Amino acid sequence: MDLIIFYFRKLFTILKKEVLVLPSRVVVILFFLFVLLLPVLPVIGNDPYMLRIFTLTCIYAIFAASWDLLSGYTGQMNFGHALFFGVGAYSAALLNHHIHIPPWGSIPIGALVAVLAGLIIGIPCLRLKGTYLALTTLAFPIILIGIVFAFPDQLGGELGISGIERIARSKVISYYIIAIIMLGLCTIMWAITDSKLGIILHAIREDEIAVRTAGINTTRYKLLAFSLSGFFAGVAGGLYAHYMRIAGPSTLEVSLSFQVVIWSIFGGIVSIYGPIGAVFVLFPLLELLRFWEQGRTLMFACIIILILLYMPDGLFPWLRDKIEKECPRCKKRNFWRRKTCRICTAELD
Amino acid sequence: MKKAVGVMVLLVFGLFMVFGVPAFAADTIKIGVIGPMNFVQGQGHWNGATLAMEVINAKGGIQVGNKKMKIELIKADSNEHLSIPDATNAMERLMTRDKVDFVVGGFRTEAVLPMQDIACEYKKIFIGCGAATDAICTRVAEDYDTYKYWFRMTPFNGTNLAKASIAHLMSTAGAMKQAGLNIPKFKVAAAIEQAQWADGFVGLAKAYIPKLGMDLTGVWRPSANATDVTAELTAIQRSGAHIIYAIFSGPVGIPFARQTGELKIPAIQMGINVEAQKDDFWEATQGMGNYVMTSNTYARDVEQNENTKAFVDAYVKRFGETPTYTAGTYDAILFALAPSIEEAGTLNSDKIVSILENRVFKNTTSTIKYVKDSEGRHLHDIQFGPGYSTGLATQWQDGKLKGVWPYKWVAAQGAPEVTYKGIVPIKIPPWVIEAYK
Repeated sequence: MDLIIFYFRKLFTILKKEVLVLPSRVVVILFFLFVLLLPVLPVIGNDPYMLRIFTLTCIYAIFAASWDLLSGYTGQMNFGHALFFGVGAYSAALLNHHIHIPPWGSIPIGALVAVLAGLIIGIPCLRLKGTYLALTTLAFPIILIGIVFAFPDQLGGELGISGIERIARSKVISYYIIAIIMLGLCTIMWAITDSKLGIILHAIREDEIAVRTAGINTTRYKLLAFSLSGFFAGVAGGLYAHYMRIAGPSTLEVSLSFQVVIWSIFGGIVSIYGPIGAVFVLFPLLELLRFWEQGRTLMFACIIILILLYMPDGLFPWLRDKIEKECPRCKKRNFWRRKTCRICTAELD
Repeated sequence: MKKAVGVMVLLVFGLFMVFGVPAFAADTIKIGVIGPMNFVQGQGHWNGATLAMEVINAKGGIQVGNKKMKIELIKADSNEHLSIPDATNAMERLMTRDKVDFVVGGFRTEAVLPMQDIACEYKKIFIGCGAATDAICTRVAEDYDTYKYWFRMTPFNGTNLAKASIAHLMSTAGAMKQAGLNIPKFKVAAAIEQAQWADGFVGLAKAYIPKLGMDLTGVWRPSANATDVTAELTAIQRSGAHIIYAIFSGPVGIPFARQTGELKIPAIQMGINVEAQKDDFWEATQGMGNYVMTSNTYARDVEQNENTKAFVDAYVKRFGETPTYTAGTYDAILFALAPSIEEAGTLNSDKIVSILENRVFKNTTSTIKYVKDSEGRHLHDIQFGPGYSTGLATQWQDGKLKGVWPYKWVAAQGAPEVTYKGIVPIKIPPWVIEAYK
């Protein structure tokens, strides 16, 4: 009993001193609660339409965060990220359709195939940077679409592979499985960026030569970034295939690759939480705009342009800067109304 | 205070938009019309459905048991050309938010398949008016209990589309013979766009054209978006082809037709050219598309049966253009659903399915009969052939799109001869006559 009380007290202390002191952390807690409690929320929880929207939102959140891990943190500008998503989707679909491997097996194996795709792309792209890298990566999903069309009997051609097993019969259970995977994977991605590995990846983005001078094998780290990003995007693709029950050429389309870039830039790159938040805003927003079918896409584009015009670093970093201040001395973040830093007590301007 | 009121108004508006408008009209039959509404195919879906609704509601509605129920259409933009999740979200919305009784439409197969899953999960009848893939109907045979709610209305499936194009080829050769051209053995050049849907036509051309006693001079695969096909056309001209078997759904149909006319290639162009089905083809090719033939669904002067003229005239009057096959939503609502609902006396999907799959009825283009596969399983696909769906071939003749097939068409020995009212003979381009006379 005492032990339980001890842990409760510890939890309360952490909550009070580490979480509640920063609005951004409170928002993250609220986000977790929202995602986990969504099916029991009044109105939304009983609505399969809303549940479908948020299930797809969770899938795309993993996808967007995986792009940020590679292109945001490591600076490897990938304009063909749909390749990983498509490879994950097709692999999971093929394994399930032909070998009858259930989703819990086909999705991770599909993700590993996407890792392989990440390595295959990563190796020839290692010598490229910036625009050249972006254009080269753009070509890969297009090549794969060509392969899909070239082998219609095996890969379903234009129709894709349909009739795949559902993740779960119940929509609520499907949602929970996908939402928990999303929360888990996104936390892992955030942890990666906050680790030593994340610092190295970030450093490669800022100045690769300096990192190499420090004796770090950047090639290995860049390949690792491609593989990790491919894995997470591959999981998203596998989840998509099993949720939609189809893996088709649309999972490899250029528009999907650009969509993930738009989500990430809108939310704020080099943050992980930015792209996730952006998907949670933009994907339901597009549905919300269905009240004006003709102008839906136009209005959507206008909103994005306006946000980027006034918040060039993305929506969420902008919001974070509004509610939090960085200490000029210790660089720790503080609630915006504080006069002194909560850590070093330095004056906040 | 003002700011707070403003925020409240915005919140209420936001919630209203997110959670939607509740359905108030209980005495109407709700039909969802789903398609890419910002594209020509979706507009066809919506226009056809609108006309059907107006016809039915003008008569007081549909008799369901002992009460008359009017039709209410719910528009759903599937945006399926650009996003498959958008299409499935739209279908889910129709099912759960709008609570429709039936759905018509759909176009891109990759979107129709998951949309079909959703509609069937909610046990709502979904009548397809756009996707031609055979596989969509095969699902009905393979898992009848799940997919029995799916039916096809337009177009007929890909296999029959290919059969029809071969019939058009034979008629074209027949017309050239009748014109007294000195051609001992016909040479056919196949120009088939680079697209997967068209790949089957390559095999078809290689397999069937020699069997028809003709020579296949070659197969050319221009890009679906090509703007210049001079190289292909020059090669076709050098091959000595008398007929160009062209299969195009993309914009390449325009430069191909225009440049064939400009080069005065002594060959007649037939097959499938989606651009040539449109009213603005003549202007787009600056008149150079004269004599181009294509498979088609409607032509202004052609009456496939007694229902065609009223529909085509009303469509042209209302929307200023000839209907395309996605306007088959008109047939789906007026001729498939309405009488089946009246016969069932209920909106219960299972009862309507068992009535609809056994009905033989006329729509605006043909007589519809739902076929079974070789094992006797229901496919909910439409019967192709004389007396049933045949489609048309149309030809541009001096600025007008004329119906030219079926003209005295005999599908097989002993089969009835088919000629629709308004069909005219195929015209051979004067430069072709001059070259081979």
